[in-house]
Amino acid sequence: MAPWEAAVRTIAIDQRLAADAGLRVGDLVVLAAEPGRANGDTVRIAAIVQRRADPSEVARSEYRIRMHLDQLQRIVGYGDRVDRFAIATAGGAAADSALRRINSVAFGFRAYPSREIAVETSKTFVVVSRFHRAIGMITIVASATFLLCIMLLKVDERRRDVAAMRLMGISRATVVRTVILESSFVALLGSLFGVGLGFVTSALVNAHYQAVYRTPLRFAIVTPGTVAYSVLLSLVLGIGAGALAARRLARTAPLTLFGR
Amino acid sequence: MRFQLAALSLRRHASRTLLAVLGVAVSAAMLLDMVMLATGMRQSFATLLGRNGFTIRVSPRGTLPFDTEATIAQARDATITMQRIAGVTAVAPVLGTTIHVLGGPNPVTAFALGVDPAVQGDYELLEGREPVADALVASDALLRATGARIGDTLDVAIGFDPQIRTYTGRRRVVICGRARFTYLSADDRAAALPLASVQAMGGPDRSDRVSLFMVRTAPNVDPEATRLAIERALPRVTALSTAGAIAEAEHRLSYFRQLAFILGAVSLIVGFLLVTTIVTVSVNERIGEIAIMRAIGVSRSHVVHQIVIEGIGLSLTGAAAGLILGVFTARWLNSILRGFPGLPDAIDFFLFQPNSAFRALALLVASGVAAGIYPAWRAASLPISATLREEAVG
Repeated sequence: MAPWEAAVRTIAIDQRLAADAGLRVGDLVVLAAEPGRANGDTVRIAAIVQRRADPSEVARSEYRIRMHLDQLQRIVGYGDRVDRFAIATAGGAAADSALRRINSVAFGFRAYPSREIAVETSKTFVVVSRFHRAIGMITIVASATFLLCIMLLKVDERRRDVAAMRLMGISRATVVRTVILESSFVALLGSLFGVGLGFVTSALVNAHYQAVYRTPLRFAIVTPGTVAYSVLLSLVLGIGAGALAARRLARTAPLTLFGR
Repeated sequence: MRFQLAALSLRRHASRTLLAVLGVAVSAAMLLDMVMLATGMRQSFATLLGRNGFTIRVSPRGTLPFDTEATIAQARDATITMQRIAGVTAVAPVLGTTIHVLGGPNPVTAFALGVDPAVQGDYELLEGREPVADALVASDALLRATGARIGDTLDVAIGFDPQIRTYTGRRRVVICGRARFTYLSADDRAAALPLASVQAMGGPDRSDRVSLFMVRTAPNVDPEATRLAIERALPRVTALSTAGAIAEAEHRLSYFRQLAFILGAVSLIVGFLLVTTIVTVSVNERIGEIAIMRAIGVSRSHVVHQIVIEGIGLSLTGAAAGLILGVFTARWLNSILRGFPGLPDAIDFFLFQPNSAFRALALLVASGVAAGIYPAWRAASLPISATLREEAVG
């Protein structure tokens, strides 16, 4: 290695840039503030870093470079300036008192607690999350109607069996319980199948969008809460529909159910 | 006669029919919403970009307009170079920066645009006059925040030096107008000043620099050819045509488009399955009736038509209800997404376009027809005597 090469400063680049530009650790590159500018800085790639799973960066297909602050200030002619400082405190009261002291002497800048910045920067995702909840509500209404309809028809199809059971002397209550048990079994089986389908589709969704946006971010997550909610909902709907249809069948005269 | 029989058959199980119509209506509403989402964003964004006739945006090389703080140097020369390109009818330079309105207990920070008022396409003047030197037009949000009105004078600075605790690029400017900023949200505090004023306030860092050029081309000129000519003439810039900008926006928002496609397809399948199930069950229950109709000489085609009409009836009624439901839910969903911070007022995610909407609902009705065909064919193909015997014996 030539002496000038040993003095070269180092940078870290993200995986996306490394892949697109065919760069590897140890490569020398020239950094300049504008394309084609002659007086750029030659630097060595010391590391290739993976992007964080940050939703705010997902749709931006830009490249990221990490470099020494003074070198960046010099290259872009920014002088002794920075965009922001991140300050570590002992937490709790120490953070509040540091915030007060900084803001009491600040001129042209302001200190914010991290949680306030998190709230501000996550507004976009609050909107997306609200939209997802709304879409989820519509989907639940659609699937609940569908499920209710199918369960009613399924039970209605059993009219002849119910008639036969009633003619054999089986009580109305037993008939109703049998039909409800059957419909809960169907709803349970269906919801278990749906949970499996949910896991598979969420894996597909994640694989697809992680490839499209080149991010480790997970777009769809099946949580125990989601599973419990969907299973419970389909069970309630299944049992409800079964009970409704079964009561109606049990009240109808067996011969009428037979079509006589 | 066929219509009457189909209607009677649907009315016989009123609750079941109602539930099926409700299911189809929800599916149709979802399908309609997803079509509105998939096509609305593109249409709305295209309308926004094309509003003032500018077909090309020119930004520092490798960046999108206002995506970074990078600027284009030697802006005057660049303007002349672009004006000389065949087909270019106007070049509007824009320099974006942050300004601080002083005077109150806390400075009010706003986004400022340096523009050439003669060719600008960034705002629509609502009241007052175009800005000249030491004057600005302000958005309603900025006027509210400063408590100022047209004719008032503001103490404005473009930067500050914390070391010596002074504001830099300070100037007293008169509010000469009130404007609606095309690419900003109604809540954004914004102002527009003459480009030369903003450049002068910014000092050497901003001298003869712009953030963006907006280029208008002649109607008979292909913007793509002009875009390439600009990039050839100015290697330091990236030129983006409206079509390119829409493609870029679509890439960034592809999540919503794909979500719309998936949910739209699911809605269509759910609607189809619902109609198929209802019609199939209804046919199964009436096998005896259908066999009697066939036995007394009713033709196969009559039976098929009657059952298909039932499917169409369910789909049409559901689609009509879904149209109303879909428009309301789209408004609701749009109001949620309009909450995106900094979203221009003119952008809508859900846009009702009659052609796309009716095409989607027609697809749902067509799926209803398809849903009725299998049970209809099955019913019409029943062996008459065997079916009658089975029905009689039970």
